Amino acid sequence: MIPFLAVYTVFLLYPFFQGIWISLHDWNLLAVAFNPDAKEFVGIRNYERVIWGRNITWGIGASPLVQASGLLGVVLSLFLGSTGRLSRTTAWALGITSLLLLVLPGFHPSEGGRWYDRRFWPTVGNTLVFVGLTVPTVTITALILAAALNRQTRSMAAMRTLFFLSQVLSVTVVTLIWQIMFSPRQGLIANITNLFGGSPIVWLTDERFAMAAIVITTVWWSLGIVMILFLAGLQDISRDLYEAGALDNATGLKAFWFITLPNLKRTITLVIVLQIILHFQVFGQAHLMTNGGPNDTTQVLVRYIYQTAFRDSELGRASVMAVFLFVTMGGFSILQFVLGREGD
Amino acid sequence: MLNRSHYWLIIALAIPAFIWLVPTIWMVSLSFQPNDVLARTTSTTALGLVPIPFTADNYAALFAFGQTPTWFLNSVIVALGMTLGVLAVSTTAGYALARLEFPFKSTLSVLCLIGLMVPEQAVFIPLYTMFADLGWHNSYQALILPRMAVPIGVFLMLSFFKAIPKDIEEAARLDGVGWLQIFWYVMLPLARPAMMTLAILTFLYAWNDYLWPLVSTQKPQFFTITLGLASIQSNFAQSEGLGRVMASGVIASLPVVLLFLIFQRYVVQAMTAGGSKG
Repeated sequence: MIPFLAVYTVFLLYPFFQGIWISLHDWNLLAVAFNPDAKEFVGIRNYERVIWGRNITWGIGASPLVQASGLLGVVLSLFLGSTGRLSRTTAWALGITSLLLLVLPGFHPSEGGRWYDRRFWPTVGNTLVFVGLTVPTVTITALILAAALNRQTRSMAAMRTLFFLSQVLSVTVVTLIWQIMFSPRQGLIANITNLFGGSPIVWLTDERFAMAAIVITTVWWSLGIVMILFLAGLQDISRDLYEAGALDNATGLKAFWFITLPNLKRTITLVIVLQIILHFQVFGQAHLMTNGGPNDTTQVLVRYIYQTAFRDSELGRASVMAVFLFVTMGGFSILQFVLGREGD
Repeated sequence: MLNRSHYWLIIALAIPAFIWLVPTIWMVSLSFQPNDVLARTTSTTALGLVPIPFTADNYAALFAFGQTPTWFLNSVIVALGMTLGVLAVSTTAGYALARLEFPFKSTLSVLCLIGLMVPEQAVFIPLYTMFADLGWHNSYQALILPRMAVPIGVFLMLSFFKAIPKDIEEAARLDGVGWLQIFWYVMLPLARPAMMTLAILTFLYAWNDYLWPLVSTQKPQFFTITLGLASIQSNFAQSEGLGRVMASGVIASLPVVLLFLIFQRYVVQAMTAGGSKG
């Protein structure tokens, strides 16, 4: 116990509290490195400078689309939760998330006002867009593949291996491959479009396609593990259910819809939460493929933290964002924990 | 089971499976083509998916000069060091939490549970200042130590030790064997499968980790292969040629791919347990 506690305290607990401590200071990386007294205690001013602005007001129509979907989510969770279509925890989680979507985007600078940090909220927004595109794509594709590959034959096992293979590659290998894949001059995708006489898309430097390119890369990279988790869930569904279903003429797609999906509900929810936690921390893909560009359209939260800390040397503000990341992730981790307990 | 519809399913799935494999094939294929050809076109034969014209020069050049061998060696040292370290602290802590009685035990296990929620990205700034104060950046210990503090391994070992019947230990204890010996001679050999899973999880993580090495290491002689690959991919066209960069990518992937193909069952288990942290 002792050896673990030692490294745990020194390299995780202490840094965690030190991080909060730094976030309360005006702390320049270089200045403090030369003179340890060069930091100044500023209380919550860093928090204000990151998440707040001048003349901030709240209105329902600030970002209609996001807020409308938030409202829809609240209504849906109330309805589905009260009729028992969703488990209590899932309904609560959906409700709270939607409520945040309804309330938070309502804050906006009014006439003559502005955010103190113009890039922070757009960065959070980009991260959410990335998560919002990646998670459903991976989940649905992986679910279909898992259902199709859930047979104990050798060819199926071989194909499971194929789909899982890209998962073990490192982020830098993945970005290396896809950077060239997307290259308008040398890329495989461009070569194929040329074959059909189309003009190649400049994926990584076009504002319309950069995020899509990163999402495609991530889907390719992270599909395997999700598929495996679904396959594990499928193994737990009793054969008897399908045999009983077959008597009622429920085979194929019907069996998938009425037997597989309802029995897999808990696994699906858990896997979605797991992916949200994972992909909210996206860094390498955006850092290596697009440098957060073009025009900040793929700037994501962890990359902004990294830049603020190590390019701008502003450790105080960067730590505020790290705390923000921790709080958001903490919420989802608690949800994951509660969901995991619920089924036992 | 092997009826007609099954064969149709195989064929229907083989197409997406092949598409899924294409990017990897492409990397390998490009790594075996001459750089001067690649500078003109990447689609000589079958869209470039077949390495004709063929050459192994890229690999020869990689080992003759350039820093890839150093980076590869660094990765091996860091990954093995981290794996041994994690195994050492996790097995002991997992055993203690599962079987020994000591004060504040429940408090400590809750404390460890909280640690599961702290993402690496939330602590890398204070870790950076800490290692800077120690003057430890650009060293193996800086790359290895922080990851040893992650409690996932403790919980993996804890649940495994809990599942081992107590009778085995009781028998040993009646023979007058102390708990240290029980741990070393009885429990550890039993825990081999769980240790294997944890070892693979850690090794994959260490090999593929990017953010912390990026923050902590500036000197190229301490780069891991993952970090080194990032440093050459931004300017591959000018400096070394596409073929050589792709060869580096293949070399960087070889250990983890082999590990995966040989220990597939453990890798899948490990990544499921680790919640896809690889």
